[in-house]
Amino acid sequence: MINEKTAPALNIKDLCVAYQQEGEWWEAVHEVSLQIQPGEIYGLVGESGSGKTTLALAVLRYLGKNGMIRQGKIELSGVDLVQLQPAEMRKLWGHQMALIPQNPQSSLNPAMRVGDQIAEVYRHTQDMETGEARHKAVEMLREVNIPDPGRVTLSYPHQLSGGMQQRVLIAMALSSNPSLLILDEPTTNLDVTTQATILDLLRSLIEQRQTAALYITHNLAVVAQMCRRAGVLYAGRLVEEAFINELFARPLHPYTQGLLESMPRLGDHKDSVRLRAIEGRAPVFGDIPSGCVFRPRCPIANEICETNPPLSVLPEGRKVRCHRWEVSLNEAGRSHLPDGRSDRNTTEKHQLQPLLSLEGVSVHYPLKRSLREVVRREPKRAVRAVEGMDLKILSGQTLGLVGESGSGKSTLARATLGVVDKTAGTIELLGIQLPDKLSRRTLDTLRKVQSVFQNPEEALNPYLTVGEILQRPMMTLLGWSRQEAIGRVPDLLRAVRLPAMYAERLPTQLSGGEKQRVAIARASAAKPNLLICDEPVSALDVSVQASILNLLEDLQAEHGNSLLFISHDMAVVGFLADTIAVIYLGELVEIAETGDLFKSPYHPYTEALLSAIPGTKVESRRVAAPLVGEIPSPIEKPGGCPFHSRCPRLVGEICKRQPPPWQSQQGSSKRYLCHIPWEELQAQQGDIQGFEISRG
Amino acid sequence: MATHTGAAPSRGRRFVSQLRRLYAVPTAAFGTTVFVLFLALALLGPWIAPYGANQQDYQGARMAPSSLHWFGTDHLGRDVFSRVLLGAGEILWLSGGGTLLAVLCGTAIGLLSGYLGGWLDELIMRLFDSLLALPALLLALLMLGILGASAWSVLIVMVVVYTPIVARVVRSVVLSVKTRGFVEAARLQGESLGWILFREILPSVLPTLAVETAVRFSYGIFLVASLGFLGVGVQPPSPNWGLMVKEARQTISQTPWALYYPAGAISILVIGVNLMADGLKRIFQTRHD
Amino acid sequence: MKVNLHIIGRNKIALVIMLVLVFVSACGRVGATQPAPAAPTQGQSVSAEPRSERNGILRVAMQPIVQADPAFISSDSEVLVANHVYDYLVDIDPASKVIPRLAVDWQIENDGLTYVFTLAEGVQFHDGSPLTAQDVVWTFNRLRDPELELPTADLYSNIADIQATGELEVTFILNQPNPFFLYDLSDNHALVLKANTQDAATKFNGTGPFKVTSYSPEDRIILEANKDYYIQDLPKLEGVEILFFNDENAAVDALRSGQVDLVMRMSTALFTSLQDEPGIYTLDIPTNGFDLVRLRSDREPGDDPRVIQAFKLATDREAILQLVQQGYGAVGRDSPIGPMYTQYYSEETPIPERDVQAARQLLSEAGYPQGLDIVLHTPDTGGRPDLAVVLKEQWAEAGINVEVSVEPESVYYGEERWLEVDLGITGWGSRPYPQFYLDVMLKCEAVWNESHFCDPEFDELTTTAGTSLDEAQQAEAYQKIQQILIERGPVIIPYFFAQFAAISDKFQGFELKPFAGRTDFRLVNLQE
Repeated sequence: MINEKTAPALNIKDLCVAYQQEGEWWEAVHEVSLQIQPGEIYGLVGESGSGKTTLALAVLRYLGKNGMIRQGKIELSGVDLVQLQPAEMRKLWGHQMALIPQNPQSSLNPAMRVGDQIAEVYRHTQDMETGEARHKAVEMLREVNIPDPGRVTLSYPHQLSGGMQQRVLIAMALSSNPSLLILDEPTTNLDVTTQATILDLLRSLIEQRQTAALYITHNLAVVAQMCRRAGVLYAGRLVEEAFINELFARPLHPYTQGLLESMPRLGDHKDSVRLRAIEGRAPVFGDIPSGCVFRPRCPIANEICETNPPLSVLPEGRKVRCHRWEVSLNEAGRSHLPDGRSDRNTTEKHQLQPLLSLEGVSVHYPLKRSLREVVRREPKRAVRAVEGMDLKILSGQTLGLVGESGSGKSTLARATLGVVDKTAGTIELLGIQLPDKLSRRTLDTLRKVQSVFQNPEEALNPYLTVGEILQRPMMTLLGWSRQEAIGRVPDLLRAVRLPAMYAERLPTQLSGGEKQRVAIARASAAKPNLLICDEPVSALDVSVQASILNLLEDLQAEHGNSLLFISHDMAVVGFLADTIAVIYLGELVEIAETGDLFKSPYHPYTEALLSAIPGTKVESRRVAAPLVGEIPSPIEKPGGCPFHSRCPRLVGEICKRQPPPWQSQQGSSKRYLCHIPWEELQAQQGDIQGFEISRG
Repeated sequence: MATHTGAAPSRGRRFVSQLRRLYAVPTAAFGTTVFVLFLALALLGPWIAPYGANQQDYQGARMAPSSLHWFGTDHLGRDVFSRVLLGAGEILWLSGGGTLLAVLCGTAIGLLSGYLGGWLDELIMRLFDSLLALPALLLALLMLGILGASAWSVLIVMVVVYTPIVARVVRSVVLSVKTRGFVEAARLQGESLGWILFREILPSVLPTLAVETAVRFSYGIFLVASLGFLGVGVQPPSPNWGLMVKEARQTISQTPWALYYPAGAISILVIGVNLMADGLKRIFQTRHD
Repeated sequence: MKVNLHIIGRNKIALVIMLVLVFVSACGRVGATQPAPAAPTQGQSVSAEPRSERNGILRVAMQPIVQADPAFISSDSEVLVANHVYDYLVDIDPASKVIPRLAVDWQIENDGLTYVFTLAEGVQFHDGSPLTAQDVVWTFNRLRDPELELPTADLYSNIADIQATGELEVTFILNQPNPFFLYDLSDNHALVLKANTQDAATKFNGTGPFKVTSYSPEDRIILEANKDYYIQDLPKLEGVEILFFNDENAAVDALRSGQVDLVMRMSTALFTSLQDEPGIYTLDIPTNGFDLVRLRSDREPGDDPRVIQAFKLATDREAILQLVQQGYGAVGRDSPIGPMYTQYYSEETPIPERDVQAARQLLSEAGYPQGLDIVLHTPDTGGRPDLAVVLKEQWAEAGINVEVSVEPESVYYGEERWLEVDLGITGWGSRPYPQFYLDVMLKCEAVWNESHFCDPEFDELTTTAGTSLDEAQQAEAYQKIQQILIERGPVIIPYFFAQFAAISDKFQGFELKPFAGRTDFRLVNLQE
């Protein structure tokens, strides 16, 4: 157990870190103090630009040439790292401290066998002989739950999946038994099911080795699951620190509250809950407001906030840097909408006209055959990205599409848009079959289906002003004159809650969230019937996500357009969608109205997705094994049930041989593709429990 | 709301600010200064040259540099300083004009080929591959053999030699740009091919193109000088620096200065333009990071 | 006169190279019947008292040789080697006079149709066999055999018969009189081989002053003195090594560093740079090689004599000699009969002074008041591009605006382009007698009449000069020809080249000839 009385493994005191940019120094981290006990995982939460990575690099003393520790102490086991010479620091790296980075691929040497890379750490840090080091490497790999570690040691990094690579890095980091482990977003690039297993592994290893760990992330749910205590970093300042339960139950700082309330929880739905977004955007270098740094975005700020807030130390180890935390505590709470707020719900579903219907849509990307294959007359192979998809989107409704990376959800969207050619099936818009090729579609068809892309950075032409970007669809799709189009731009901006003067700006002058708003404004400028949103918020910070989700919902309420919403995040989809389709390996495995989806039974894959969400528990009557293995290649898909190779509820040979039937039951909109009948599956599964923060 | 409240800066101000950034790097500042200096000399050459380019004085032939002839005189009694000065204009307009034409052609082809893809792209690129398989100088010699030696031929040669290179560079940028969301959005908006190529894609190509133009330009200077040196480019008595080196090479033991000054001018200008290209690259790279 | 027409068909470039390179060929009748005394030093020479003992090895830098069979040789180095391994029947001295070699004496009989030669006694081939009249007969029969198609077949087509009229006496019988026949017998290829030699290209079995001891193509050829040479005390060297250099700069560097002792033929600039080099002696002699600037006279603008006159008036020949040839060689007088031909050269007709105003006036009268734009074509070799540049500048003052087009020789001479263009510069090699130029270049029907000059009076005079056995009549005809060319010939000959050589001052007795390949090493030796 963690003893608060013992000396902390890491003690950071009044740390200030500055960067030099174009000749001037800007503080990225300002007067941060925190302690981590041995065996404790301390979560450091912050959005992009909050300074959390800078803090980690400062602890490692690995700032670039343009970075400098201005003041403060970083004591590791009583030694002040700030005072150490670079040569002395090098001795500490790998021995006493280790880093697990976000991107495992760039941290492993691609030209060296994995085993040799781990063995090298042993040879360096513990002066082992090569043979012994190799042996140790295999042992370490076993410890991070890598199956068949002997074989893996002989692999090169590119032969391993992202999850495996991350395990190898964990093995390397822990091989020297460091007293401090710094984890910088170690699971951000991983799929949610893989993330769950890695998190479990990390937690048990850290507990077992009594390592002090600094866990840096933007994901509150991960912090909730992993950490004992957490600090919230905003604009380089630690604005709040508390034990995890306290932090989630009673967030004191308005920013923490905003973060918590801006993310939809599993089961939240737009009909009942309105997300509370944090307005504005995070300050950037050289633009730090005076007084309280959060003041410009704070809903409860007043004159006093123009002075620097002191760090208030409260009982139970809580700290908060806010003048008005007592006020904020009372103001907190998300806005629950009165029941039946949405008029749409009053309309019966069956009366709605299908806007878009996909029947048996398949998209295969043919692979180029090698010369050998051509000579041997082997059949042409193809990546079967989407296979026999049947889906309908009703007018004014939102269809959510959920699946892990590689499930084919984006391909489906692109086939609908006409950007990729489908191999089979029909796509009908309002009963009219759409041609495959974009060039064959009429302007009116184009107008009816518009799209918002995942990456706002790439969505806008950096060389056109926002105004020019917004005029175009009206000119091309609606045939308006430039003057008419220009006249509409302010309305469009207003609709996406941006000031009209933004029309003059270039995209580079906008933040990520603002860019995505412009992209949405562009997509909705010509009043489309269907808006296809492919992961529109996954590249955005948590506080910005909420406002985008709210915006999409508002626009839909106003225009009555349909929405095809694609996401890997169950909670986000659950919040926005009326109907949710779960796809795996290009095939639809489950579809249900949102309310029904979160009721058992679930398709085993859906179950895995749900239970992998940090902080979420699916009550299992019969404990299902975690998901095993990797997603199979869509080139050589397994026969029978597409999920059989990983299914924790495998029935037997039948799953491998025979394609499963659709299971459904009267009274539920749910259908799922499985050999296990409804009742039997229901008996094995319970309802999900999202983490609920009981308010004090 | 934070600081970014101003409208987009005007093009002029952007140019000035980029020039300032160019001058922030010492090597690029040097390179740009050299280039501007040569440009000025080229423009003013006809007014400040003390003698004509082909003005001969057989009694004053083969004279070492002196106050009368700063760079001395060559074997035909021509003032080397005046010839170097007047040659600047010629080499700059030939290499500059050739580069610009090649950049125009290469950009148009690269944009189309890269964006449309398919068999057209395949055809054009294979054709260019076969052109690029020949060393530039060899290709130039072959073409000049057919076209005959003249300034216009040199111009055509530069276009043929450099268009494939520029097109490839442009195409590679187009390939990465065309998958970006804004291009797809433009297609979904039903934009015309012209709009997509020139308004959506071209601006993103421009930074790379600017660097490539500068690099091509420096190679172009070298090519024009080399062709002059080989005697297949511009014809005597033109004060082409390469030609001057060729002529002076035969009398190097007598009039070394007639070789050193034009050769030095070539190297300084090429180095200058290269450093400038380097600076441009840095500016545009940091802007993208 | 026909010159090697089969070559024209086969390989124009080779022909052109032959044309530009200097070669000594002859056809003609010469008045002199008396053998000249042995080698008076008329060219510039390193004079020193010859010694009787053989002494020293001379290392010569030369272009690599390609042909070794005397019937095919053409380049300087090929002729140089052959000239020392074999002997000519008669030779030519630096003043272009015919002198004895293997033939010590000759008689011309039957109105110039019969030539009787007496061979030297005691001449041996390198294999030890003696030289007989039969060898000479076989040699020349081979050279003239139409079946063999050797380069000399046309040259000797005028020979009706060759007979061995004694052990050491050979008689040539001609079809027509030829005042230049002795020159023809001294043609570069006319080296006497042993009768029935099958492999002349590899055997090197000559009578000459040196024997080949080793030959490595692309590297060097080593010669040693022929101790049984028929002239006592000759050669004076122990041996000659000819080292092959492709680059004249490298050759001169080798001379500077003492790796070779002799370099012949080099650019004016290189030659000038050697002037003050200690230990190196430089020699230059004028030749009759020249660069010819010619304007086509059969069409505009050259068909107007005033235009031709304007070009000539606008040209400053002295300045050109100074700039292009750095003053070496001699100023030309627009006729191919240069000062080297002492018996024919005449300065009687004055060349008009340069007069730019007069030139302008003439152009204006001819219908070019605004001046004349014309392209000047020139091959890219020698001083010709420089000549073009200087002419451009000089002519510009008279309103003749020239665009220079420098072309590789293969382009300029290829496809008969040089005979086609209006204004061009052509290089012509040095010949031992002037008739050749008139016959092939300026006569109305001449094969290489590049200026398309056609003047009945000129043609008549040329025929007279080429056939008359009367020396006075011949000289008069040549004098008149020079006058015609100055007054109305469409050619400008601004200068005659000099031939250059540089030799280590350790050697003596070296005498340079206009055609470097015919230089004679027999009298050269190392100074004590």
